[in-house]
Amino acid sequence: MLLLYCLHLPADKLNFMNTTARYNRQIILPELGEAGQYKLLKSSVLIIGAGGLGTAILPYLAAAGVGEIGIVDDDIIELSNLQRQVIYKSSSVGKYKVEEAKAMIAELNPLVKINAIAEKLSSENALSLFEKYDIIVDATDNLQIKYLINDACLVTNKPMVYGSIFRFQGQVSVFNYQNGPTYRCLYPDENSASVNCTDAGVIGISVGIIGMLQANEVIKMILGIGEVLNGKILVYNVLNNEQQKYDFEKNNLFLIDRITFEEKYEAGENVVEEVTPELVLNKIDSEEVLFLDVRNSDELPKINFKNGIQIPLTNLENELGKLNPNKTIYVYCQSGIRSKIAAELLQKKAFKNVKSISGGALGINQLLQEKIIII
Amino acid sequence: MIEVKYFGAVAEKTKCSFENVISTEISLQELLQDLEEKYQFESLSFSVAVNQKIVSKATDYSLKTRDVVALLPPFAGG
Repeated sequence: MLLLYCLHLPADKLNFMNTTARYNRQIILPELGEAGQYKLLKSSVLIIGAGGLGTAILPYLAAAGVGEIGIVDDDIIELSNLQRQVIYKSSSVGKYKVEEAKAMIAELNPLVKINAIAEKLSSENALSLFEKYDIIVDATDNLQIKYLINDACLVTNKPMVYGSIFRFQGQVSVFNYQNGPTYRCLYPDENSASVNCTDAGVIGISVGIIGMLQANEVIKMILGIGEVLNGKILVYNVLNNEQQKYDFEKNNLFLIDRITFEEKYEAGENVVEEVTPELVLNKIDSEEVLFLDVRNSDELPKINFKNGIQIPLTNLENELGKLNPNKTIYVYCQSGIRSKIAAELLQKKAFKNVKSISGGALGINQLLQEKIIII
Repeated sequence: MIEVKYFGAVAEKTKCSFENVISTEISLQELLQDLEEKYQFESLSFSVAVNQKIVSKATDYSLKTRDVVALLPPFAGG
């Protein structure tokens, strides 16, 4: 009888009933209700990065019924991602992360509009992308891009939900929310060195917890409930379950408008040339080159280049004297992120021929094993 | 006694997550200089909190007994 009744209802009413059933357990929360569900439906969120954090955040926002979600990442799924990026399947290896994420969400909640953006976030696409969304989520794995996200959020006046990991510790905060402090107010030093998960190691649960805390901030902002981590950074240690909140204040020195953004990113960007391990291995015997390992001395695998030198990134600025500026310097680290920062630093210090080896020691080592090159 | 907490890569350098500094009168700068000499943080950057509040490293802040100082580096994993 009820079924017959439903069949005579107009389509939009039927959709609404489906929706109500789907979201019932959250709609019955007094803090949410149908009005809250409507807010979720009308909201849009851009997630930068479809790695460990992004893949924890995405399914929960989609399941909760956030109306439109963009996800930006130009990476392809690798086997070593699956230990923490749990929405991908073993059969997804080799495919674009954002495409696989979109397919997964389409099955989880077809009511959500997903925009899969298989691009690298850059100063060229950031502003136009950010303008289309209400909230920007930083789920990236390197410091440079966090400054870019921060600056683009300032120009477009969007809140930035920050999360990041160091081994068993994580940080979460919300920047530029209701005119609040920004990432630069917390960390003014743009040239600092910090290692990512590829280099430092991580267990999936740690990124999952931090991603979940970020998703929670997003939902609270949309619904206008609870206390947002505005002007506060939460530091979580999964090994002892300790968490601390630290307050920080806005510093107007670090405000960025469209003009300063364009000046900073369009004129001043030092482009570091990246080269593949294949290209580099042809130059192993050359006297004109120097291989600079910017990892710490305890990092493996060790690669014993004839013309090699090791200076950890954190010491590089103080030990520039060890480098011959007349040689072509090939910089490498574990995966290619720290080496890029180091190459940029060297370029700023007037070293002219500096290149960063993409894929780092892992890439070089793999090649050496495949080709049995003796160095 | 002043408690100093270490996080992330800073804690890797100090090889402990906190320690107590016994000192009657010390400014934040003096404490940071002492720690720098002891641990050689070099270009490892971090923000500094006193009693759960991030403060500028440049301000002349005199620490009192039972103050808790924290060194917070940015994290980059994700």
